[in-house]
Amino acid sequence: MSFLEALSVSKVFGGIAALDGVDLSIKEGEILGLIGPNGAGKTTFFNVLTGLYRPDKGEILFKDQRIDGLPPHEIAALGIARTFQNIRLFTNMTAMENVMVARHSRTESEFFGTIFMTRSFRREEQEIQKSARALLDRVGILDRGNALAKNLPYGDQRKLEIARALALDPKLLLLDEPTAGMNASESAELMRLVEKILKQGVSILLIEHQMRVVMNLCHRVVVLDYGEKIADAAPAEVQKNSAVIEAYLGTSTHA
Amino acid sequence: MLLALGLNLVIGFTGLLDLGFMAFYAIGAYTAALLAIHRVPFVACVAAAVAASTLIRVIVGFPALRLRGDYLAIVTLGFGEMVRLTLSNWDSLTNGPKGLPRVGESIPPASLLGFTLSTNLHYYYLIFACVLGAIWVCTRLDQSRLGRAWVAIREDEVAAELMGVEVTKQKVVAFGLSAMFAGLAGAIFAHWEGFVTPESFTFWESCLLVCAVVLGGMGNIMGVVLGALCIVLVPEILRDILGSTFANARYLLFGLSLILMTIYRPQGIWPSRRRTLELGPEEPGESSSRDTLFDAEQK
Repeated sequence: MSFLEALSVSKVFGGIAALDGVDLSIKEGEILGLIGPNGAGKTTFFNVLTGLYRPDKGEILFKDQRIDGLPPHEIAALGIARTFQNIRLFTNMTAMENVMVARHSRTESEFFGTIFMTRSFRREEQEIQKSARALLDRVGILDRGNALAKNLPYGDQRKLEIARALALDPKLLLLDEPTAGMNASESAELMRLVEKILKQGVSILLIEHQMRVVMNLCHRVVVLDYGEKIADAAPAEVQKNSAVIEAYLGTSTHA
Repeated sequence: MLLALGLNLVIGFTGLLDLGFMAFYAIGAYTAALLAIHRVPFVACVAAAVAASTLIRVIVGFPALRLRGDYLAIVTLGFGEMVRLTLSNWDSLTNGPKGLPRVGESIPPASLLGFTLSTNLHYYYLIFACVLGAIWVCTRLDQSRLGRAWVAIREDEVAAELMGVEVTKQKVVAFGLSAMFAGLAGAIFAHWEGFVTPESFTFWESCLLVCAVVLGGMGNIMGVVLGALCIVLVPEILRDILGSTFANARYLLFGLSLILMTIYRPQGIWPSRRRTLELGPEEPGESSSRDTLFDAEQK
């Protein structure tokens, strides 16, 4: 049984193939790096995986279930959570509430329970708060829990995005450049956090530009260029791969 | 005020600009009026009015809620006008612009549990109780899974969907709930006035409602109550002081005050604050401060 399997996934935007027959598989417990030059289709691939875009061709299987074509909230409920390259928090809600929102698909109180404050509603509300506190603690920003998301410093906003994604109890976590705009010590801290999440049994697909992070952290690396997969190997091998070097640095053969 | 609270669910929480809210008030009022003429008891009229406006709202909501922002505003505005025009032209049912009841018919006074509401004071208590109930419902929702999901939709629809919130379903629920408020208010209005005409449900009334919500503070329940009070009471008070010339200029003044509000205090008189939650044994004393300038809620 495969954990996540993308089979020749294609996505075309007005004649330009953002993704062109990409095959990609993730094993359970694995951390897979997804790299490539700007515009290679990495974020598009995330958007296809999470249901934001419907692939034009190909299929995506998550635990042997077709997920392409499902609405995003169902895919999220199945256990695929993500963060965003440009942070997309609920800016006018507190950090706690941001995490609490993401418990939505794991809880079920409806209108009448809410109005009449039934026991199950109150118990569920307690549990939501408890797990939200635990998650904020896990990423290390519990003390900022009641601050509005937009008032958090940049690094904390990144962490809050991860906490919010974890609130879905994901089996697979998609991180879109989590260390973007961070300095060396901040990204080192974030790497430790990612490792911790991985140890707790969450598989991770990581888009990252900092090669040091990718090489240290990832079990395997997939390289995209112009929507095509050009390499899929262990980090050390990818570094030596001539096609990859060419994609990043351009061709060196002149004549 | 009931109406403003209902509308706040849609605009304040979920961030859907609705310019045709009066249509559902009208549907509620006419449903109640039509039934009451045939001597249907008050409680049943209210129930039917709530059901009718909610049902129509949900049916309209499914296609309309696929639109975003300004487009939704246009559709709701159009629907509001459609309802008003239908009411003034469907003579056989609504007696057109002459209103209901027809000559020789009457809407009997409402009676509740054997007690007949005959004076304005009685209606005052009834409405007061309903407003309290509505405030309770809204407060509960605000602090629940549903309310949080709605605010998240207002803040970032795409992110909310990706965090597992069924955006379309939740929008329809918010939309339908707000119509329940409108239907209830409409039914009470019909019994109280004893007379309904399409003139009571114009676009201007919808506008005033939006004013009440924006003026008071979008998303804040008490703020909206305050906003509705302002919209209703300020003209009454000023009419005594300034005489009847003011009555003609009141929309002008409201417009002016709205423009001033958007420039100087876009969050409303009493802005919404997110709830502070217990963070565990070591209370950090971190208070959430709110910027004066915000833009997300305008979108």
